[in-house]
Amino acid sequence: MTESENTNMPFRIKDCTLIVRMAGLREAMNLRELEERISTCPVECLFHHFCETVIRPTFDDPDYPNDFAQWASRQLRDRVLAERLANINPYKFLSFEELRRATLEIIQERLSELDYIPWAPNGNVFHFMQAVTVVYDTGILIDSIKDLNDQLPYMSHGSIYYHFVEARRRTENGMDDFSVWLSDKKVETEALVKALSEIDFYFLSLAELKQTLIDTISGFVMGEIYA
Amino acid sequence: MRRILPKYESIIGEVSASKLRQVAVDLKGARVVHVNSTREGGGVAEILFWMIPLMNELGLEASWEVMEGNPEYFTATKSFHNGLQGNNVILTDKIIKSYEDTVAANADRLRPVLEEADFVVIHDPQPAMLYDLCPNRKGKWIWRCHIDVSKPNRKVWNYISSKVDRYDASIFSMPDFARKLNHPQFIIAPSIDPLSDKNRELSENDINRTLTEFNIDHDRPILCQISRFDRFKDPLGVIQAFKLLNGAFNAQLILAGGGATDDPEGAAVLEEVTDAAEGNESIHVMMLPSDAHRTINALQRASTVIIQKSLQEGFGLTVTEAMWKHKPVIGGNTGGIRLQVHNYHTGFLVNTPDGAALRIRKLLSRPDLIDIMGATAKEFVKENYLCNRQLRENLTLMLGLRRGLANHLITD
Repeated sequence: MTESENTNMPFRIKDCTLIVRMAGLREAMNLRELEERISTCPVECLFHHFCETVIRPTFDDPDYPNDFAQWASRQLRDRVLAERLANINPYKFLSFEELRRATLEIIQERLSELDYIPWAPNGNVFHFMQAVTVVYDTGILIDSIKDLNDQLPYMSHGSIYYHFVEARRRTENGMDDFSVWLSDKKVETEALVKALSEIDFYFLSLAELKQTLIDTISGFVMGEIYA
Repeated sequence: MRRILPKYESIIGEVSASKLRQVAVDLKGARVVHVNSTREGGGVAEILFWMIPLMNELGLEASWEVMEGNPEYFTATKSFHNGLQGNNVILTDKIIKSYEDTVAANADRLRPVLEEADFVVIHDPQPAMLYDLCPNRKGKWIWRCHIDVSKPNRKVWNYISSKVDRYDASIFSMPDFARKLNHPQFIIAPSIDPLSDKNRELSENDINRTLTEFNIDHDRPILCQISRFDRFKDPLGVIQAFKLLNGAFNAQLILAGGGATDDPEGAAVLEEVTDAAEGNESIHVMMLPSDAHRTINALQRASTVIIQKSLQEGFGLTVTEAMWKHKPVIGGNTGGIRLQVHNYHTGFLVNTPDGAALRIRKLLSRPDLIDIMGATAKEFVKENYLCNRQLRENLTLMLGLRRGLANHLITD
């Protein structure tokens, strides 16, 4: 398997780190203000609050994978809204404008259901943020699926995030980098690409995602060996 | 040069250390000058104490300059500090003149090194005006504000913001602490140094010696709050919570901390705390000197549960320190404590002495929970709040500033 695979380009493992900045918008003190700010905020801001939560220094909260849902639950004390917002998977949308519309739809629906506007307690406003991501080459090259299997346990969470999560923003068809690389291979990788595409990564922490990738790829490699 | 990164690597792991080295590659040779107001004492000096050698070991040329001034200047900057935190101070012409004359004198001394630097990091308001006095700047200037300036005295803020508005960027510890300025504002949380006296591993002997020194029973559960004797830390609320236990679990309470010399209220609060603890031999009130880092380390490590029942708090690095020592924390539901204490994972957030008493009971009755939550707390700090993360974010910001702050930068 390895010999024929090596005719393809090697996979370069990259890593990334990000630095968070204020988005320059006024903070939201209530649900109406959250709606107004989301309707005009830059897409980088939406991306940050929906997608970069996993890579930012923060506690993994499996209940609420995005910042809007967390704020709705913890500060607005509106569990109904929080559950609805938490269920948004941003990677299912073709564009961030669609994601924005879907988010606003949920908030507007909730506002229409309530007789009052939920407010956050004093000092618990929502700050709109975005991030600058710096990507760099680790210098590690992978030639084969077996190499990928061997290297995965040593990859940082930044590498996992960049290649499997953030990649969907960069690649055609919203694929992860591993699948793009595997799809170009001359060996049969369809089953593995399919298995990777079925990982519901948005609701996993990076540590959990890394373990899931290790399990998936090692399962494939073992299967190949035993076949 | 003595290499220290390998020592950190043994704690943070090869991947995190390698990440630091890689982020620093494009910054090799960059001249970075940090300027603050003191070389000893205080959180900023503690940060620079580890940051400068680490930056140098990563290939940057980092140096640390300290403002020189007379007592009038430090009185003036103390006024700024208090005013930025929202206290009512009066900004007199005399205060401003003292400040501006001293910064001008420092600028004459520091101008060559500051104007040549690739990055100048100005810490807090004391050196802020140096920017205006270094007209031939070649590098990027960053204002690192360690203070909560969310609700400042308006006149003080107007004055200081006029000095920092033209910087290339500013850094705040939390979004809640930031204030709008005419340049990008970044958020970098503070961190702890795992190799410092306050946080490094201690032997059982060291810990036991400290307990013996302060007449603390080795065999009974220890509850501990480390903090200044300050009303915002609510030491009286902690005593109230402890008394609500009614002697259950045979626990002991330690309230230990220093008193800031510039805090006239500290002595009054200490007296109130001592009065509240009087007659209860299970409560140990300790006034420690400001350099008692190893004692604090030992007390935190000896504790069963750490309390930080603040009513108002900055980031709350004492919580970080406790969590690093494998302890669950019962913390006040405020400030940066909320970023660190997560109910049922790393401790409990509480709003009242009753809430604190309830959570103390829960933890003392479940030693298995103490262990599990302590392990989660330590791992959480390792991932997020050790100094390698703070350094990495500082380097990332420098790379971003050098390359124009595009959202997605690929290094060479």
